[in-house]
Amino acid sequence: MSASALPSERLPVNDDARSVSSDESDLSNEEGWEDVEPDDETQPVVGLFSDKVYPDVRSMLKETKEKYNFDLQKIQKEFALDFLGTIKLVNYIRSQVKEGNTSPDVSSAEKFEDEVYLMPVLEDDALLYSLDDIEDETPESAGGTDAERRVIELQEDLERLQTQFSEYRDAVQRSMEEQLAQEDENLGSSTSGAAAQKASNKVEEADADYFTSYSYNGIHESMLKDTIRTDSYRDFVYENKHLFKDKVVLDVGCGTGILSMFCAKAGAKKVISVDNSNIIDRAKEIIYENGFGDVITCIRGKIEEVALPVQQVDIIISEWMGYGLLFEAMFDSVIYARDRYLAPGGLMVPSHASLRIAPFADSEFVASNISFWKSVYGFNMKSMLTGIHEEAMVRHVQPSSIPADSSVFLPLPLHTITVDELVFLKEFQVTLSEDIDELDGWAIWFDIFFMPSRDSPIADDAVPSEMQKKGHVAFTTGPHGTETHWQQVICLMDREKKRGVSLKKGQTITGKVGYQKKSEKSRLLDITIDWEAQEAEKGSQKWSLQ
Amino acid sequence: MATEGQTSSADRMVGMDHAEVRYFTSYDHHGIHEEMLKDDVRTRSYRDSIYQNRHIFKDKVVLDVGCGTGILSMFAAKAGAKHVIGVDMSSIIEKAKQIVAANGLSDKVTLLQGKMEEVVLPYPKVDIIISEWMGYFLLYESMLDTVLYARDRYLVPGGKIFPDKATMYLAAIEDGEYKDDKIGFWDNVYGFDYSPMKETALTEPLVDTVDMKALVTDPCPILTLDLYTVTTADLVFKVPFSLPAKRSDFIHAVIAWFDIEFGACHKPIHFSTGPHAKYTHWKQTVFYLRDVLTVEEDEVVSGVLENKPNDKNKRDLDINIAYKFETTDPNRFSEGSCSYRMC
Repeated sequence: MSASALPSERLPVNDDARSVSSDESDLSNEEGWEDVEPDDETQPVVGLFSDKVYPDVRSMLKETKEKYNFDLQKIQKEFALDFLGTIKLVNYIRSQVKEGNTSPDVSSAEKFEDEVYLMPVLEDDALLYSLDDIEDETPESAGGTDAERRVIELQEDLERLQTQFSEYRDAVQRSMEEQLAQEDENLGSSTSGAAAQKASNKVEEADADYFTSYSYNGIHESMLKDTIRTDSYRDFVYENKHLFKDKVVLDVGCGTGILSMFCAKAGAKKVISVDNSNIIDRAKEIIYENGFGDVITCIRGKIEEVALPVQQVDIIISEWMGYGLLFEAMFDSVIYARDRYLAPGGLMVPSHASLRIAPFADSEFVASNISFWKSVYGFNMKSMLTGIHEEAMVRHVQPSSIPADSSVFLPLPLHTITVDELVFLKEFQVTLSEDIDELDGWAIWFDIFFMPSRDSPIADDAVPSEMQKKGHVAFTTGPHGTETHWQQVICLMDREKKRGVSLKKGQTITGKVGYQKKSEKSRLLDITIDWEAQEAEKGSQKWSLQ
Repeated sequence: MATEGQTSSADRMVGMDHAEVRYFTSYDHHGIHEEMLKDDVRTRSYRDSIYQNRHIFKDKVVLDVGCGTGILSMFAAKAGAKHVIGVDMSSIIEKAKQIVAANGLSDKVTLLQGKMEEVVLPYPKVDIIISEWMGYFLLYESMLDTVLYARDRYLVPGGKIFPDKATMYLAAIEDGEYKDDKIGFWDNVYGFDYSPMKETALTEPLVDTVDMKALVTDPCPILTLDLYTVTTADLVFKVPFSLPAKRSDFIHAVIAWFDIEFGACHKPIHFSTGPHAKYTHWKQTVFYLRDVLTVEEDEVVSGVLENKPNDKNKRDLDINIAYKFETTDPNRFSEGSCSYRMC
């Protein structure tokens, strides 16, 4: 799940999160009106009374009328609802259905006149964007050819849409501001100025959430193109279709939905895909376009907070691994999902992980990263080194920089491990396979295994390449394997404090590695390593991964 | 100045506002500055333009806008400046202070943290402004507006600016293989149709190194900024271009780069960030076209490039490239318009 570009000459302008308000640019773009009609028609819409995704509003309303005996247009007419009124109606229905009431009371417009129904219930509810579509067409335009009339109509449509949306947005903002101001008042803890400020910040955030779709192409591209990662998931799912057939699968942190689609294609009965990022909007589109709209349900939110449409799932699939395995702490959420939703005997995909450590010796790396600052164009810039030994680096390590076999310091059985066990201090021992001038630090990486059942036997120090020979799916993110976007974590020793000594082949080094979260809620990680080779080479140091 | 270190942790800060990452933290105290300092073309050009012109710097008051680690300020101090004032928003300036002290230049260099508009300089006017303000595509996340503010408020009449000229160029390239990898990739991702991701991919310019052999046309200068006279209004522009093909080939993209000139030097110094020149961390900016053009030698692709800051996020650039390829062969005629967003 860690987002960084693969080493490539070519990188997108921006690898980190970026936002493109494509929805709005369509509207504000001078030429955007040309797209209005096709866009509306191709916008998939979630049903009012089910999770079913329809290709467009008309088909959804038609089925809703036939199957659920609910005629939105009729009610709209009956109460002479304007644009905002119709939005309230839609959100009222959606909120009632969400609460389990599948026959909401629409006997009077008062039922849904509360401002609260201006707030969208569904993220990016395409129905709200398409309301204009369902209004009866009244072609009264002046003369000209059909095409000209159509153009004029579309232009008018666009203007109306723009006005309506800005009104709608203002209305949402007003109602939220009021709500938030009230909350602050109730808390009685802030001055009115601060409250207003806070409210407006919150509104801005909410605004951004509701009205812009974020794109993270760069991140998702580099993850999808990490074939070691994606191939492994695909191979396991496709080679074990019998495990997925007719099963209910939960994909935690689904991103663009690739793993969900693997599962759907492998025959899963239902896949629930959860992600708290805006990328889920793209996932919905992609899933719909690939014809999996009826198998895969996308839910936006934190797994700890969302309501899943099922009590239990048979399989949890997730690509949760961060730098040094546990950076970003996404695994905590996967464990939460397992404990809450996984059926007894259910399967975790992947099933096992292991963390490895090895000594690191690479004088060129040290020269380029540390010695460089001692003279930059003739100036002493050693100040830039302050704190450098307190930070772990994420880099590609050359196999030649690893003078020993690595040692597993934490095997993680994903079916049983607990969050408490992710904070630890574990022993390790490595033996040098060559002479080195000095020890420059430590390299840490992880291996991932996909076993077909909870009870599949696997050794704590299993090696991915060996498991592959036995027909299992597994991969390593270590320096001896093909590069992955996770690279390796390097913890450089502070040689300003204590000089290193040359060590001979056969030298054994023992030590302890500790992982600790920076704070309770933090996604950052502190790594401590104690080591002892001989009297002249022992020490202890702490690094943070951030 | 604007950077994208593949090795910097900015790349890894998923979910954080990138402006925050890039601008207001010195989170990555090595990555970004290391990449810039190790950009030899950049740093050497500044060093040479200062060291080779000691007679210009001697006893002058110098302002370094966006001083970073303070390297340019120290160059100027070493060149005999009476005093150098370095200003930077970022807390990197704390490191810069230590570095300046470690090099015995504290009495010559004053470093101030804050916005140019807000800091109080120890001198009412300065004789020389030095600044490394350039971003990707010259203007992306650039500090030019800050430099112009400093110029208007602090530079004495007749004062000098290092560098004082920037020229932007366009050219067209054959890039079929890579376009396929970047854009075509989304057509089939592990057997799935990922076209919803494709549109965004097309609207994102790529910052990348382009092989000179990929150039199908001659370059065309589209914009020259004279730092003594340019105003922020000039940074919103709409300029024509004309790209004559040097050979018969396909065109997949238009690329942009810039040259920088230190015209105040005794002997002018300049460097280029183009595909023909030595690598710089600015690389080139690639704009993929939707269509593939088939051009023959001496035929011309002409058009208009428009650039303006995004209305909502001033740091982002909205760029539009409208092109027309006129040829007697109606099957090869092509015209189109693509909008891009650098963000």
